[in-house]
Amino acid sequence: MAARAACAAVCRRLGQELGSLSVNGSKSSTAQAGGLLLSSVKRAPSSSLHIDVPKDLIKPTITTSDEPDTLYKRLSILVKAHDKAVLDSYEYFAVLAAKELGISIDVHEPPRKMERLTLLKSVHIFKKHRVQYEMRTLYRRFELKHLTGCTANVYLEYIQRNLPEGVAMEVTKTQIQQLPEHIKEPMWEALTKEEDSKS
Amino acid sequence: MAVAALQLGRILCAGSRGLRGFASAVRPAASRGGPRLASRSERPIRRKALPPRTEKMDVDQDWPSVYPVAAPFKPSAVPLPVRMGYPVKKGVPMAKEGNLELLKIPNFLHLTPVAIKRHCEALKDFCTEWPAALDSDEKCEKHFPIEIDTADYVSSGPSVRNPKARVVTLRVKLSSLNLDNHAKKKLIKLVGERYCKTTDVLSITTDRCPLKRQNYDYALYLLTVLYHESWKTEEWEKNKTEADMEEYVWENSSSEKNVLQTLLQIRAADSSGAPSREELLGTKEVEDYQKCVVRLKNEGENEESLAQYKESVKRLLNLECSLN
Repeated sequence: MAARAACAAVCRRLGQELGSLSVNGSKSSTAQAGGLLLSSVKRAPSSSLHIDVPKDLIKPTITTSDEPDTLYKRLSILVKAHDKAVLDSYEYFAVLAAKELGISIDVHEPPRKMERLTLLKSVHIFKKHRVQYEMRTLYRRFELKHLTGCTANVYLEYIQRNLPEGVAMEVTKTQIQQLPEHIKEPMWEALTKEEDSKS
Repeated sequence: MAVAALQLGRILCAGSRGLRGFASAVRPAASRGGPRLASRSERPIRRKALPPRTEKMDVDQDWPSVYPVAAPFKPSAVPLPVRMGYPVKKGVPMAKEGNLELLKIPNFLHLTPVAIKRHCEALKDFCTEWPAALDSDEKCEKHFPIEIDTADYVSSGPSVRNPKARVVTLRVKLSSLNLDNHAKKKLIKLVGERYCKTTDVLSITTDRCPLKRQNYDYALYLLTVLYHESWKTEEWEKNKTEADMEEYVWENSSSEKNVLQTLLQIRAADSSGAPSREELLGTKEVEDYQKCVVRLKNEGENEESLAQYKESVKRLLNLECSLN
């Protein structure tokens, strides 16, 4: 009883010194609490090892502008890596993200490329004894269709921020545009009219 | 009781904070107890290893809070019995504790489906919808005839830049531009290899400027210049010879001269009246012959065109023989 009180006191002091959500912290770090409170109350996780994200995070404001959005007919993303398992996981992530954002996506796997080298095993002489190395590059291609500029920027930034280490990406964008004004009509008639009016 | 409480307090502090400062603050209190032993009190007190966090984890916990961002694999924080590594003889792959293989490989623990869905919910506000009217490729082609191809490259290395990123390709179908017959032929002659006849697509690739934006401006400038120049007719274009023509033209050709000459000779031999050239040109057989010759020259020789040519020649020279 007294030990429990002392324990609680220590925990409270801990909470204050940490500067984190002290009330919840003290509740959660008592060993006896167990997992009873977890399911009912939505609260900070049990360990106070990492700093929690504040709950009342201000959402970044969305600004809209009047200029027309760019349109992308096709976005072709080629991802290169040395490991098939990493590419498989990344593909699952990219496909799910695209589906959630409402983008049509197609995936296929171009054949892998192997670069092989044969070098001498020894520093000096022993020409008959060599060692061989190979570098495997595995590919995955995602084809996205019909995206607006905003959606494409959001999706690409999300994908690229979560690109794992050791993986490279090439993005090919096909943007569609209207004919610019100065190509609609040849300018020679306008020029001759101007010259006539001037003279 | 107080000592026990203090001990518990010390363990808790040391376990959850792990700060040496705190432990050193606690240490003088502990050494207050017995006589100062050189070996025990001067050596820093060894913490007992706590049970890993996985034992306190719930099955329905909020996993994205455990791994909110990309982080290395922590065996004490991942409650999965993962094994990785090449096993020794009659052995199993190594366990996750102290396993370097699991640290080396990139993990996707921060990108579980729950986490991805949450991220996408937050990102949806920044996305815009594709206009519903442009659902097919033909409609896109009709309203937005110009296509610009650009490339971006992401990789790890000593430099973020990639020189291939400044290439810009502009593709446009000539049928969507406002060109008349002469302008179209002149444009095709001006661009040369960049025009593909089968798909009627002109592709201009620029990479002479250092920035992508500059290359895009240059490509548009080239298109503008080509368009306006092709509408101009220069003095020297009047000297266009038959060898320069893109397709076969029957007027003023050797075939026309030959036909007229032959027909004139036939008519002069048969009857007295020598019909004029215009009359001969206007007759149905000559027109038919003209069409067949043009088709042969432009489309190439195949069964149908040759057969058509044969029929038209027979009709022209009145060689129709009825098989009885």
